[in-house]
Amino acid sequence: MKKILVYGELNSKDNTIEKVTFELLNKARRLSSEAKELKQDEEYIVEVVFCASYLVDDEINKAFKAGANRVVLIKDSVFDTFYSTVYADAFLEYFDKNPSDIILFPATPKGRLIAPRVTVQLDTGLVADCIEAEFVLKNDKLLFAPTRPTFGSELMATILSKKAPYCATIRKGVFKTDFSNAKTGEFVEYTPISYHEDRIKLIKTILNKDKNDVDFTNAKVVLCGGYGLYSNKSDEYYKKLKKLAKITDSFFGVTRKVVDFNLAEQKYQIGQTGSTVQAKLYVAFGVSGAIQHIQGMKNSKTIVAINTDENADIFKYSDYKIVADAKKVIDDLLIYFDIKI
Amino acid sequence: MNIIVCIKQVPDVDDIKWTKENNLDRNNMLSKINPYDEYALNAAIKIKSRFKEAKVTVISMGPKQAQDVLNFALAKGANRAILLSDKAFAGSDTLATSKILAAAIKKYCPDFSLILTGQMAVDGDTQQVPLSLAQLLEIPEITNITEICNADKNVAIVSVKTDLKIDIYEINTPCLLALKTECEENYIPKIDDYIRAQNIPIEEYDINDIGINKEDVGVIGSPTMVYRAFRPEIHKDTKEIKEDITKKILDFLLKVDNK
Repeated sequence: MKKILVYGELNSKDNTIEKVTFELLNKARRLSSEAKELKQDEEYIVEVVFCASYLVDDEINKAFKAGANRVVLIKDSVFDTFYSTVYADAFLEYFDKNPSDIILFPATPKGRLIAPRVTVQLDTGLVADCIEAEFVLKNDKLLFAPTRPTFGSELMATILSKKAPYCATIRKGVFKTDFSNAKTGEFVEYTPISYHEDRIKLIKTILNKDKNDVDFTNAKVVLCGGYGLYSNKSDEYYKKLKKLAKITDSFFGVTRKVVDFNLAEQKYQIGQTGSTVQAKLYVAFGVSGAIQHIQGMKNSKTIVAINTDENADIFKYSDYKIVADAKKVIDDLLIYFDIKI
Repeated sequence: MNIIVCIKQVPDVDDIKWTKENNLDRNNMLSKINPYDEYALNAAIKIKSRFKEAKVTVISMGPKQAQDVLNFALAKGANRAILLSDKAFAGSDTLATSKILAAAIKKYCPDFSLILTGQMAVDGDTQQVPLSLAQLLEIPEITNITEICNADKNVAIVSVKTDLKIDIYEINTPCLLALKTECEENYIPKIDDYIRAQNIPIEEYDINDIGINKEDVGVIGSPTMVYRAFRPEIHKDTKEIKEDITKKILDFLLKVDNK
């Protein structure tokens, strides 16, 4: 039986499983069924591997529900501090004894450090920052084919690898989670024998005063302001939209251009170099629809766009198109709530 | 103290042109130094200014035209420039590229204290080369650096600022540091600087000079290959709202929980 391995990421504070891991597990499970449909004798089991000092039962059970057939804990207190070399070496030691055919890493800050260290040592390829993954059948062989954006997301490239294991880092927020897997499987603990001593010391951590209290992960409604809200050389309408977001219990977001012109803080940025959102409702106010921005919001369920330019690119990605001045719409909405309050 | 800066010549992604067949029209696109690599170069030159004996070597893999970015780096204050150029290198993916860079560094500047790189390249944006290079040279790395606070022959102190916190790390050399933001003043070279740079010849090495196997580089040495490339297409059934705009948006906002 073949195997898809998901490199599991934990929250460093309490060792709970990060949502991206569940997203990857669900994707791995779907890939496994896809393989079987394309080629009947191809069956993949899904394994998730964590490097940590402990993992509680609740979390292990969640991993099974999210799609894992096998949960592995590479257990050592050394993992309480994150060093890419230590993690990569321990992972490789386990992997050498328990190889798999495909490895999915999260394209998170940590995943991006570990994945290249692992794949270089395996002398295999690594496809970075993927937003899709599928199997293609070629000459009666099933090939793992992840897709990634390139050239500032102007182009999508589907990449094949010549050598196993086939490895990719996958962006968070692009796949959904699904906790409907009814079967539990095997839980395995593995103790690493040796790992690389690192030559790095964290000497001080200072809390960032202008810290990011914006976490779009669970955002249901996002109100996003584009450069079209800029008027009279003032950030007035970004402030108004922020107020509207507060009143309606929504998230306030902006595009990169707005951040570049210092009209809003970077933490509010949605798009390729900012946050990715999967909102139930996403409303774009004066957003033109640059592809980098689209990458960060297109998986939202309902997309409503308001723009004066009836040919704005954003409308191509929208469920509802409103050709109007977004500034006026914001004013009208605020008036409504003022009256109500 | 030797500091290596890896730089890449990239097309200007704000100026992307397409051919009729939906391929990148590289011939009609401007080329420039990858902006993140320029951050690394600026940081290296700043360190150099603090130590009399410090030297900055810039190294780039690419076609002959990559001389342009190396000349630019020399004008900015680098002491030495190396171009790794060979037809056999074309089509190298991140693994093959890292192998070429690692082999050249081992051969031509093995006594480095620091390797500085940009966090990513704006054209590929894989962020994989710095890490792969560090692994091949068996040195530790710190990435996403927002400031190099201090660096000498033995140790570097860097800070990594995220939205939540600022982590300050101490790392022993030799090591690799990848810069994410502009942290030093960006010096724009003047004519005098270019004239001075002309006196420094760019060292050029090919596959035989470096002594790397043909099987490890280019298309042959790259485990990954592009299966298909396409521009994202969209098929949305967009409905236009023309009347009662405020009311309809309110309906969306207020009913979202019931969907």
